[in-house]
Amino acid sequence: MTQNLLHINPIAILVHAAIPLVIILVYALVAIWAERKVAGFIQDRLGPMRVGGWHGWAQSIADLLKLIQKEDIIPNDASRFLFKFAPFMMFAASYAAFAVIPFSSSYIGSNINIGVFYLLAVTSVLTLSIIMAGWASNNKWSLLGGMRSAAQMVSYEVPTIATVLTVIVVTGSLNLMTVTEMQSGNDILGFLPNWFIFQNPFLLVAFVIFFISILAESHRVPFDLPESESELVAGYQTEYSGMRWAMFMLAEYADMLLLSLLGATLFFGGWNSPFGDFMSGPFWSFFWFMLKGLLLVFVMMWIRWTLPRYRVDQLMHICWSILIPLSFINLVLVALWEVIF
Amino acid sequence: MVEAIKSGWITFKSIFIGMGVTIRHFFGPSVTLQYPDERPVIPDKARTKLYVNIDDCIGCHLCARACPVNCIYIDTVPATSDVDLGKTSTGNPKRFWLTRFDIDMAKCMYCDLCVHPCPTNCIYMVPDYEYSEFDRTNLIYHFSNLEPAMVAEVKEKAEKEAAEKQKQREEMMRKKAEEAKKKQMEAKKPPQQNTDGETGTKSDKSDNGDS
Amino acid sequence: MELTTILFYLFSLITLGAAAFMVFSKNIVHSAFALMFALIGVAALYVLLYADFLAATQLLVYVGGILILILFGVMLTSLGYTFNFKTVTVNLAPASLLSATAAVLLIFAFVTTDWKISEIAEPTDTVYDLGMLLMGDYILPFIVAGVLLLIAIIGAILMSTHLSAENREGV
Repeated sequence: MTQNLLHINPIAILVHAAIPLVIILVYALVAIWAERKVAGFIQDRLGPMRVGGWHGWAQSIADLLKLIQKEDIIPNDASRFLFKFAPFMMFAASYAAFAVIPFSSSYIGSNINIGVFYLLAVTSVLTLSIIMAGWASNNKWSLLGGMRSAAQMVSYEVPTIATVLTVIVVTGSLNLMTVTEMQSGNDILGFLPNWFIFQNPFLLVAFVIFFISILAESHRVPFDLPESESELVAGYQTEYSGMRWAMFMLAEYADMLLLSLLGATLFFGGWNSPFGDFMSGPFWSFFWFMLKGLLLVFVMMWIRWTLPRYRVDQLMHICWSILIPLSFINLVLVALWEVIF
Repeated sequence: MVEAIKSGWITFKSIFIGMGVTIRHFFGPSVTLQYPDERPVIPDKARTKLYVNIDDCIGCHLCARACPVNCIYIDTVPATSDVDLGKTSTGNPKRFWLTRFDIDMAKCMYCDLCVHPCPTNCIYMVPDYEYSEFDRTNLIYHFSNLEPAMVAEVKEKAEKEAAEKQKQREEMMRKKAEEAKKKQMEAKKPPQQNTDGETGTKSDKSDNGDS
Repeated sequence: MELTTILFYLFSLITLGAAAFMVFSKNIVHSAFALMFALIGVAALYVLLYADFLAATQLLVYVGGILILILFGVMLTSLGYTFNFKTVTVNLAPASLLSATAAVLLIFAFVTTDWKISEIAEPTDTVYDLGMLLMGDYILPFIVAGVLLLIAIIGAILMSTHLSAENREGV
């Protein structure tokens, strides 16, 4: 990271940094539309149909244009600087974490050897920006949403990190590029790809725990307590409007993609093609990687329209008395498996 | 331990069953009707919007009387003897000018009760359900096809005729009174003249009763 | 100027400015958020010193953990609404004396120490070396720290269960 940062010229850095940004923006436009379509289809509706012709594909663009034009309302009693700053900090945190995601076999924002650790560290700032937004709004719903979010994210960071650690125990490297490269090939039972999810039964358990935790980390149903619209209006976003609110939305979707891509990297072979050498190469690897990530995002949306929301105490119960012990036991078991085999 | 595994199993099983249900609906057909582009087929007897075929209306007020919310307003003027208003398509002769036939669809409760009493089936529901208005007064539908000038003329004529009739009636009353006097005076004589007068009035009455 | 230098001064400025704001702000929550900027600035300085693991740890532990706990403490322990946290200045004379002494000691230490100056070079694998050192040369401090944390956790659990048991009896 430092080598790159100090010796490449600034424009190259900017171009390099723009690639994940473009991916995030395009993804957010598609994902918001897709979320509404998935919601519609699951409820036997059609979802947005009118903007842009085929299945309302331009709906998110229209929404974005609308949001740009909206007034930027700041409540009188809000803490002005923090109120204005929080959405940008939230997006910055989730955007910065994309630096260590290996998007393709030949592209990674920053090939540092603390990869996953950096990602987890940077995303922990998200929590703080949510508390910041919740407190600065000077609104009870916002504050409650912010506090819930903080409690939730701090709690669920533990099982997330513990399950990431199980994979790290297997790979022995924090660098996500190395983690991905270790999953190349199709050797399991002769045809299955060497993905960690197939390598070891305990890693399957780890994936289940990891997936539940990232649902909570990215505030998705059934753990969307910070913005539960039926009780807290919109949680920490209540007072936001226009582009600042759009930044929150973007950050949420970026976070969702980030954690899904992390899951795809850790458990589903990252940019590796499921068919060995067939359809591999820089472009195809990007395709496979995004496909895996977006499938996980789809599962998140699918779960959103299936399950109801948990209560706060149930949320904490699931985390502290089920997921955390289970993930640590699982960590030990994976380590034992690695020692034995 | 066994209990915990069991409950965990049940949890995941129920989650997967739920997800199975949702994914089936995901791929299933949608029930949405793309409204302005596609419209539902309205059933035959749908109660949507009242319409009056004014050519068939004989001005009998039956619908207005049937209306539970009094949203039908009818004013009639009897036709003078010099005009023939013709007959309805059901063959009933028309005897009244309909100077006003208004239905306030904002008040209407879509009960369909006005439709059935109509002797000529001229008031009925038409399958039109998109008639929202920005102004409530626009929801009062005027079905009378008489021009205001015409209305005035007709009214004037009718008044004149009514006045004439009144005069005639008074005349008649006077005659009757006179005849009654004559009767009294000539009680012994058989009242031959009287029968003529009576038959005349009778035939008038029977005509009125038919209409 | 080189990019590194510019960045160094930028992050130093952020760190010092945020720290000063933290000390002088009258609102406790503002102070806490200023502390966040200071901690992030320090993490950035670590990155400029090629200590990426340390930087990430700084973020994860201080910003993502301790600061959130501080904010929780500030927000949950309030009696009234969480908005009017005003700090008051007490013990002006002893405090300034103490901080002056500390400053003098630090400057003295800074001036008299024989600093080792070496060219910055990117270490190839910080995590591996760190792990080897922790599990090799520094195993005893590592284990002691671990035991200390374990005791702290057990103590916290005991205290909370004790309190909740008392509450239950009270109810």
